[in-house]
Amino acid sequence: MRVVASPEAIDRAVWHDEGPDEFEPLVVRLAPDDAFAIGATGVEVDDPHAIVEHEVGYIALMFPADEFVDVVVPRLDWPAPIERPAFAQGAIAGVPAKLYLDSTGAAIVLVLASYLDDLLARLPVPS
Amino acid sequence: MTDDAVETGAGEDAAPAIEPGEAAPKARRIVVDGRPIAFAPGDSVAVAILRTGVTPAGGGTLCLTGDCGNCLAQVNGVAYVRTCQQRAYPGLSVVRHPADGLPPLPSVSDHVSAWPLGRDVEVLRAAIDVAVIGGGDSGREAAATAERAGQRVLVLDAEGGDEVVGVYPGPLLVVRTPTLMLHVYPEEIVVATGAAELHPVVPGNDLEGLLTARAASELHAAGVELGRTVAIGTPPEGVPCIPVAGQLVRLEGDERGRVRAVVTADDWIGAETSTPCDTVILGLGWAPRDILARMAGEIPLTVVGSAAESPPLPPPPTAGIVCACSGTTVDDLQVAWDRGFRELELLKRSSLACLGTCQGAACLPHVRSWIAAQTGEVPAPFTARPASRQITLAEAAADVTVDVFRRTPLHDEHLALGGRLDRFGGWWRPWHYGDAVAEYWAVREGVSVGDVSTLGKLVVSGPDVVEFLERLYPCHVADIKPGRSRYALLLNERGHIMDDGMIVRESETRFVLTFTSGGAANAEMWVRDWIDEWDLRVHVLDRTMSLAAINVTGPLAGKLLQNAGLEAPPRFLAHVHADVAGVPCHVMRLSFTGEASWELHHPVDRSVELWRALLSMGEEFGIRPHGLKALFGLRLEKGHVIVGMDTELDTTPRRARMAWAARMDKSTFIGRSALARIAKLADQRRLHGFTMEGEAPIEGAPIFVDRDIVGHVTGSWTSPVLGKAVMLGWLKRLPYPERVEIDGREAIVAPTPFYDPEGERART
Repeated sequence: MRVVASPEAIDRAVWHDEGPDEFEPLVVRLAPDDAFAIGATGVEVDDPHAIVEHEVGYIALMFPADEFVDVVVPRLDWPAPIERPAFAQGAIAGVPAKLYLDSTGAAIVLVLASYLDDLLARLPVPS
Repeated sequence: MTDDAVETGAGEDAAPAIEPGEAAPKARRIVVDGRPIAFAPGDSVAVAILRTGVTPAGGGTLCLTGDCGNCLAQVNGVAYVRTCQQRAYPGLSVVRHPADGLPPLPSVSDHVSAWPLGRDVEVLRAAIDVAVIGGGDSGREAAATAERAGQRVLVLDAEGGDEVVGVYPGPLLVVRTPTLMLHVYPEEIVVATGAAELHPVVPGNDLEGLLTARAASELHAAGVELGRTVAIGTPPEGVPCIPVAGQLVRLEGDERGRVRAVVTADDWIGAETSTPCDTVILGLGWAPRDILARMAGEIPLTVVGSAAESPPLPPPPTAGIVCACSGTTVDDLQVAWDRGFRELELLKRSSLACLGTCQGAACLPHVRSWIAAQTGEVPAPFTARPASRQITLAEAAADVTVDVFRRTPLHDEHLALGGRLDRFGGWWRPWHYGDAVAEYWAVREGVSVGDVSTLGKLVVSGPDVVEFLERLYPCHVADIKPGRSRYALLLNERGHIMDDGMIVRESETRFVLTFTSGGAANAEMWVRDWIDEWDLRVHVLDRTMSLAAINVTGPLAGKLLQNAGLEAPPRFLAHVHADVAGVPCHVMRLSFTGEASWELHHPVDRSVELWRALLSMGEEFGIRPHGLKALFGLRLEKGHVIVGMDTELDTTPRRARMAWAARMDKSTFIGRSALARIAKLADQRRLHGFTMEGEAPIEGAPIFVDRDIVGHVTGSWTSPVLGKAVMLGWLKRLPYPERVEIDGREAIVAPTPFYDPEGERART
C-alpha cells in the first residue's frame, strides 16, 4: 500500500493485512507525508484527502545479512547505514533504490520495476 | 632513423637510444623502447633508465619524488606515467614519449585488447575515522596520535602505492592504488604530504643532468654513476660533489642537450664563473606539497608538517622555462601579463603555466614569485582541482555507471513482436516493429495499440487542489467537471513552455495530471515546489512507474474496447474507471494520433495481460502495434507539438501557435505576467507548418529564403494519406514568407492541422 496524507494522519494510520499474526506490515516512510507498507492490504487513515493506492510499481529483493555485505554494500553510492533497523534511499550501482535493514542486518532492496533489469544486471547475483 | 627504431616504434624525435644495461647481469629486465635493460632490486623505472646513461624523458630537473613531470613515459600502454614512482619489474614495457610533441594515442584495437586499457578497474570503499595522507614523519605522528585516541586510522602513502588523487565533499578521498581505486570516507582528514624541492628557472634548465638533492641522494644510493658533479645551494649529505658558490645564472650544455657547465655569479660583485660538470645537484629550497589541501575548499582537514608551512618563495625568475610541463617561459609570462592577464588565475590560463602534468607542483612558487615582483604582493596559491595526478580513463570511470534507461512492463512484449527499441525520454521505447507505414495505416484505417506507459502521471488531492491547479496552469481548471479532462500547457515564470499534458478531474478535490515522458520528473519537482512555495494543502503521489498505459487508437478502437468489455467507451475528453479485458483501468479519451483514442492506465503488473488480450481480440480488426516512428508521423499530420522536440527553451504559447492554451482572462497563473508583457511586442519567431512534394527532408534541416537560413525543421514525415511531405519548423525572420526552400526544394508554409482539420475523426 502507498499512502500520501498529512504526516500526523500517517502517524496514526492503522494498517491491515491478511497474513499470519506474527507478520505485520512493514511500513517505511519515504517522506513525512508518504508511507509505503509492504504486506498491507488496507489502511485506515484520518485524512479525507489522503491518496491511498495499491503500490505495484516496486519489486522487493531480499538479501541475507552476509549477502547484503558482499553484494550490495560495495555498490552503495553512499555509506551503508550503521544502525539497525535502518531505512535509506539512494542509488545502488547507479540505480535508484530504497533500502531497509532489519535488526539482523538482513536487507530488503526496493527497486522500481522499470529499473529491475538494470539493477540485476549490475549486481553479481543469479538473475 | 635506424632499422631498430623502425622495429621498436622509436622515432627521430625520441630521446637518445637506450643501450642494454650492465648493472644487473641476471634476468631482471624491463623493456624500454623495445630493448631490454637490466634493473636492480628496488629500482624505479626512472632509476633503471638512468643507469643506462640516458634520461626517461629528455631534459629538465629530475626530482624522483613524483612531484614534477620530467620523467614521464608510457608504461604498459599507459602514457604520462611518472617513471620515478613506478617500481620496475621483469617484463614491464616502457616507451619514452617523443622529445617533441605528445605521446601517440592508443589505437582502437589497443583499447580493445591491451592491458590495462580494456580492463574494468574495481573500486573498494572504506569508511574510517581518520585518513592520514602521507607516510612521512608528520604523517606517522598524526596516525599514532589518532590511534592512541582509539580512532580507526588509514594511512595513504603515495610511496607505498596509495596515491590520493582527489578530495571531494562527503568527505571522499579518491585513491589510486596499483590494483584498484579506493574510495575512502573519513570522518577526519590529515594532510601530511611533506614538501617538494624547488626546480631552477634559469636559461638551460631544460638540459639533461640536473637533479634535485633528493634525486641525487637516491641515485647515489642506487649506485648510479653521476660523473663530475657540482652542487648549487645546499648539497645532499653523502653524495660526492663540488659545492659551487654564488647565484645560479645559467646552465650550459653540449649539442646533445647534456649539461656541461654551471655558470654562477658572485654574490658581491656579480662576476660570472663557469664550472665544468656532468651533473648539477640543485638544493634550492622547497615548497609545501599542498595540492590536496588546496583542493579541499570548504572540506575540513588538518594540514601538518612541511605541507602546512610557508617557506620563502624562490627569487623571481628572469629567464628560462618556468613550467616544464607546458613549456612556458618567463617571456611567455611577460607576454600574457602585458596583454592584461594580471592575476594568478588569469595568468596561468593564458600562459598555460601550472596547467600541465604536475599541476604547478614545480612551477607555482616561481610564478607566484614572478607576479610578486610585478605587483609587490604575493598572490595566494590557486585552488586545485581533481585529479592531482594523471589517471587513466578506466580509473576515472571506475564504478561509474551509465544512466539507467527505464523499461516499461511491455519491454519484452515489444522485443517478442520484433520491435526495434531505442532510448527516448529516459525510457526504452519501440521505434517501430518492422514496418512503420503499416503501423501508421493500422491507426488511420483500423485499430492499433501503442505503449504509452512512459507518460508522467501524478495524482494530486486536497482541499486547495483547484486553487493550486488554477495557479499552476494557464488554462481554466475549476470548470472541468469530474469525469472530464482538458489539455494544458505547463509554463514557467517567463511564460516559456516547459511541458504539456492532460488535467483529468476525478472528484471535487482529486485530479490526475499527465506529462510528457521526458518531462515527467521535472514536472513532479515543479508541482511539489509550488505547493510548498504557496503553502497549499495538496497531496502529491507520482504514479508514473506504478501505472502502465496502453493507447488504443483508430476508427475501430471503440469496437475493440467494447469487445474487451468496455460497453460504453467514454466520449472525447471524458474518462472512467472500468475493467478492460478483466484488467482495472482508468480509461481516458483523447487523441494524439488524430483518430479516436483511449488511453488505458492500469497497474504495471497487469500490463502484459492487457496488452496480449487487446492484440488477441483485435486480430479480427487487423490490429498491429505502432511504435514512435508512426506515432510521430501521425501527430505531425495533425500538427500536434511535442514539447522539447518542436519547442525551444524560450518558446511561448504564441510562438508555438498555441496562444489559445493560455487564458489571459484568468487573473493569475505561472507565466501570466511575462506573457502579458511580451504580448505588446512583435513576434519574431513562430512555429509553422510546411508541405512539400516528395520525400520528407531530415529533421533539423535548415529552412532557406533567398539563400539565407531563416529557421529549421523540427519534425518531418512523408504522409501516406496526404501523398506529400508535412513538416513543423521554425521561422525566425519577419515578415514570415509564404514559400521557403528546404533540402533544395520548394516548400509551402501551410496551416495546421494538415489532416482532418476539423477534428471529426478524433471525436467520432
